[in-house]
Amino acid sequence: MQNEQAIADRLSEKFEFLKDHITVQREKRIFTGFLGREDFEAVISYLHGEMGFSRAHHVVGTDEGEDLGFIFLLSNADGIILALKEKAPKSNPKIKSMTALYPCLELHERELVDLFGAQVEGLPEGPTYPLPDGWPKGSYPMRKDWNPKYFDKETMTYNPPSENSEKETVSKQ
Amino acid sequence: MNEKNRVVIPIGPQHPSLKEPASFLITLEGEKVVNAVVGVGYNHRGLEKACESRTYIQDLYIIERVCGICSHTHSTAFCQGIEELAGLKIPKRAAYIRVIVAELERLHSHLLWLGVAGHEIGFDTLFMYSWRDRERVLDMLAAMCGNRVNYGINTIGGVRRDFDAAMLRDVLKMADVLQEQLKYYLDLASTEATLIARLSGVGKLSKEDVLRFGSVGPVARAADVGDDTRVKEPYAAYGEIPVKVITDTHADVFGRTLVRIKEMIESLEIIRFCVKNLPDGDIAVKAPRKIPAGEMISRTEAPRGEDIHFIRSDGSDIPERIRVRAPTEVNWHGMRYMLEGQYLADVPITIAAIDPCYSCTDRAIVIRSDDQTDVTDWQGLRQYSIDWYQKRGVNVPSVKMPESKKYF
Repeated sequence: MQNEQAIADRLSEKFEFLKDHITVQREKRIFTGFLGREDFEAVISYLHGEMGFSRAHHVVGTDEGEDLGFIFLLSNADGIILALKEKAPKSNPKIKSMTALYPCLELHERELVDLFGAQVEGLPEGPTYPLPDGWPKGSYPMRKDWNPKYFDKETMTYNPPSENSEKETVSKQ
Repeated sequence: MNEKNRVVIPIGPQHPSLKEPASFLITLEGEKVVNAVVGVGYNHRGLEKACESRTYIQDLYIIERVCGICSHTHSTAFCQGIEELAGLKIPKRAAYIRVIVAELERLHSHLLWLGVAGHEIGFDTLFMYSWRDRERVLDMLAAMCGNRVNYGINTIGGVRRDFDAAMLRDVLKMADVLQEQLKYYLDLASTEATLIARLSGVGKLSKEDVLRFGSVGPVARAADVGDDTRVKEPYAAYGEIPVKVITDTHADVFGRTLVRIKEMIESLEIIRFCVKNLPDGDIAVKAPRKIPAGEMISRTEAPRGEDIHFIRSDGSDIPERIRVRAPTEVNWHGMRYMLEGQYLADVPITIAAIDPCYSCTDRAIVIRSDDQTDVTDWQGLRQYSIDWYQKRGVNVPSVKMPESKKYF
């Protein structure tokens, strides 16, 4: 746990905003709080360049209500995983691609685009992943408000009831 | 040769080497690959979304079906993540049973790969030999767990079945038989001139590139990157078991072959150790229905490499977010660089050499809503496909087919 705590302390020292937002969960696990884009980019560059967190395992997309969350799982040579979190508002879900630092994140970032509707700037060109061609635009299945029962597989359309019709149904009941 | 002479060949999504879908856009200059674009995602059916509307125990059955080959590694990662969130300590006997099944799974997965690799290079005798031996492992798994794949051994808090003395005796007998076979395969792979010539230098991925693209499992270990979750972050009972990490320096398909065969021999040693030192006692502790709120990252070493599960609980009996990062998902990133500069004829074996698992990558699940079991004969299947196309406005020419042969 000494190594983990030392990493957390060094990061809190370097980045004031991390002071109360970094936790050593247990041996080999460090979690941060959600950071805005600029803060996040500064921390991840420092981790990659100065602290030996040269391996990325994954980026997990999450739905945080008004925001989208992106949890980057990075590790160093000792196998300590640091979960660095970034968030962006759903109204403007722009994040920077981290494939320049970690090329192995390409497929995972494509998934954020398809399943969460994130706009990943700087993502290399390539086939979409994992949704099929013809998937309805603006329909992001891993967001919490997306309900599979409103998706028609035959016509590939997503038809959620409008807010008004839902209210009408409730009042009739 | 200038760019005008380049030929682009789309391969797939019917796969050139395995029976799962992926597309490869290969650009050739003569016989040499100059560019490759990998397209995956054909099997994505929303498994993680399905988990968000079911309880933890229901999700266990879905998670076990992420992959038909390494189902145990996924259910182990899932269970141990939840157990950690809930503060459960599983009995030692359960931890050892998890390891025995995990190593049997590694054996049958690697034997499957060895057969596929043999087939891809026209060495079908190796294919038949290794798949025959794989049956020994599958029979053992069926006897111990009740099923050849999707063993259903894990549960939250431990394991669901205990192993009796007769089963453990049979495992040791199987291990002895397999040991001889594996020694033969290792001897064959290290000395057979045709095999060495066919696999050496094919699908190269250097140590630097492995680290850059985050490759895992035998692909990384064949490039002298000694990452193995069983040692790096011991889980289940691995902390008490001596595990030798197998590495190689060839960094090509030949190296991956040697690593996998040696890993199987090491798996037998682990199984023997577990059988000899299997503790007595309970096999499970009672798990709560509701899991305390929190986030957990759980790691296991699947046959294809590191498997990561991210679990977020909101304190209810239904998870808020489950994310499965299977090893093949990261191994795809290095594929383009393995293919570039290769001959077209080497493409199938290079793809097969990462032991790709598309269902893992795409997280597939097939749900059968009926409770009846139907067996469809050839004619029925043909009629189904004709109807399917006609519904979509495609007129299939009415080709007369010979009378159906009864297979079932």
